[in-house]
Amino acid sequence: MKLFDKYNRVNLTSTIITFVVGSIAFYFVLDYVLTSQLDRGLLVEQSEIVDFVKEHKEVPEPLTTKHQWTEYILINKPIALPKATTTEAFNKLENEIQHVRQLVFTIAAGGRLYRVIINQSKTETEDLLQMIILVIILMIALILLSNYLINRKLVTVLWKPFYTTIGTIKDYRLAEKKALQLPREKLDEIDLLNTSLNSMTERIHQDYHALKMFTENASHEMQTPLAVIHSKVESLLQLSQGQEAMVHQLMTIEDATLKLSRLHQSLLLLAKLENRQFELIEPVNLTSILQSKLEERELIIKAKELKVAVILEEVHLHFHQHLAEIMINNLLNNVIRYTPLHGSVGIYLTVNELSIKNYSINGALDKQKLFQRFYKEEQSAESTGLGLAIVNEICTLAGFSIEYSFISQEHVFMIYFNTQPA
Amino acid sequence: MKILIIEDEITLNQSMVEFLSAAGYLCESVFSYKAALEKIDYYSYDCIVLDIMLPGGSGLDLLNYLKLDKKTDGVIIISARGTLEDKIEGLQLGADDYLIKPFHIAELSVRIAAIIRRKNFNGQSVVSAGDIQIDTVSKSVIICSKTVELTQKEFQLLLFLVINKNRVLSKNTIAEHLWGDSMDFPDNYDFIYSHIKNLRKKIVATGGEDCIKSIYGEGYKMQLL
Repeated sequence: MKLFDKYNRVNLTSTIITFVVGSIAFYFVLDYVLTSQLDRGLLVEQSEIVDFVKEHKEVPEPLTTKHQWTEYILINKPIALPKATTTEAFNKLENEIQHVRQLVFTIAAGGRLYRVIINQSKTETEDLLQMIILVIILMIALILLSNYLINRKLVTVLWKPFYTTIGTIKDYRLAEKKALQLPREKLDEIDLLNTSLNSMTERIHQDYHALKMFTENASHEMQTPLAVIHSKVESLLQLSQGQEAMVHQLMTIEDATLKLSRLHQSLLLLAKLENRQFELIEPVNLTSILQSKLEERELIIKAKELKVAVILEEVHLHFHQHLAEIMINNLLNNVIRYTPLHGSVGIYLTVNELSIKNYSINGALDKQKLFQRFYKEEQSAESTGLGLAIVNEICTLAGFSIEYSFISQEHVFMIYFNTQPA
Repeated sequence: MKILIIEDEITLNQSMVEFLSAAGYLCESVFSYKAALEKIDYYSYDCIVLDIMLPGGSGLDLLNYLKLDKKTDGVIIISARGTLEDKIEGLQLGADDYLIKPFHIAELSVRIAAIIRRKNFNGQSVVSAGDIQIDTVSKSVIICSKTVELTQKEFQLLLFLVINKNRVLSKNTIAEHLWGDSMDFPDNYDFIYSHIKNLRKKIVATGGEDCIKSIYGEGYKMQLL
């Protein structure tokens, strides 16, 4: 739910409740005020009658108007205290039964006891009340409507810089050379948000670059000692004529340094992939990459006597040449490494997908762990355990989806490009 | 052939000097930006081996300086920075080659040889050793006055062995020279061996001396006196 809708809902509900409660209270207050006004009129009339009786020793002529009429009834004994009540009475002039305010009292005149009933019609006050209530209801409706419209317009305008800010943040990538630069805004809240975000990303940006520099430098600093070890092994190799055991040992060291150096490069690459430091905008011909990478491996394929079925469609993608090569390299390396002698391999490329299958004597691989770093199905000295992790990262970056399945004694890797061909 | 080696890691610098001196080059080594600047200002070299991260400055600045001064020294960068962007930057500045640390010194040696061959175009394109003559421009090989047909990989392999003659080259070194480091090799099958075997057969069939020796199955060496 949007903030505006939430706000509107609360606002409308509370406004309606306030108005309803207020209107009811207003009705009762108004009714009380108008009734007491009528009562005052009744009391004035009563005192007039009392004065008239004192002076003339007899009751006055019954007064009859549209709104007020009096009756005198002879009685034997006086009634209780005079009291104004609301009741119904017949209006002779209007010829109808009306709501009235009625005052009943007893008075003695010329030795006779009278019960005096003064009726004050409530029709006028009721009409007034009705009009007032109608006006109030109309006003409420008007206020609610205008409130809603103003809010909608205002909120949309007010939140615009907020959405602009959100849009900028969404598109921002840490790998960019510049820190986030959001504009100053007139509204304090949005301005605060923008300046806070600016300073936050500034800090993150600095930290990120410091960390990146550190990783790169650390990695480079490690390459130099490796180069030293490597060069010394090569020197020693020249001196080791006739010492077979020493040559084997030296080769073990050389293998280890090479592996370490590759491991390093792979980890650096993974870090860069995670940091989104590649822009996938180059047109890449996947078909020709596959062809050339297969050609490079022709000898090994021949040596292992693999039966390779290759069907390649012409596929061009917006991708990254270097990453595409790494992806293909890693997949092909795996296939060639893990297919047993005389095994069969299938490489099929279509506009939508690349599928690479290879025969295996072992069972299926663990789908959950397959793309994790340093996962190895079998302990292998050559494998770094990073190849598939890198392939997975490259696929994620490019928006490809990669799937593994094991069908009829074959490992199947499917990569769906999910993109429009370039 | 004069070579200047600019590398601040002393042991690595010494290893390169040892190796390249044994290959017949005259080597000078410097360890800092300032010393390197002095050297390239006063002398000229056939090839400069240049490290990028140096105490006192960047190797790329030295490269810039060389090119601004219109020096013709060949330059090969050796750097721990292995990304494509770094490579492109170095090559765009005018370096002739770019090698990523750690590297095989034998590989450095052939790359230097290639740069020097390219720089001295006047009839220096033939590399010879014993009774083998390799023309690097026409990509032809003559053994005992007879032309030998070699595949592209065999040609590369022979050139590599000839330039690094009398040195033991490990299988890793040979494999990386021929295929780069993007490929890995199944260790249960030695296909470099079959390559070498084919090459030896061709050399012997032409009447050349069987000079490629296996070193306990771990490496090979072209033995020439």
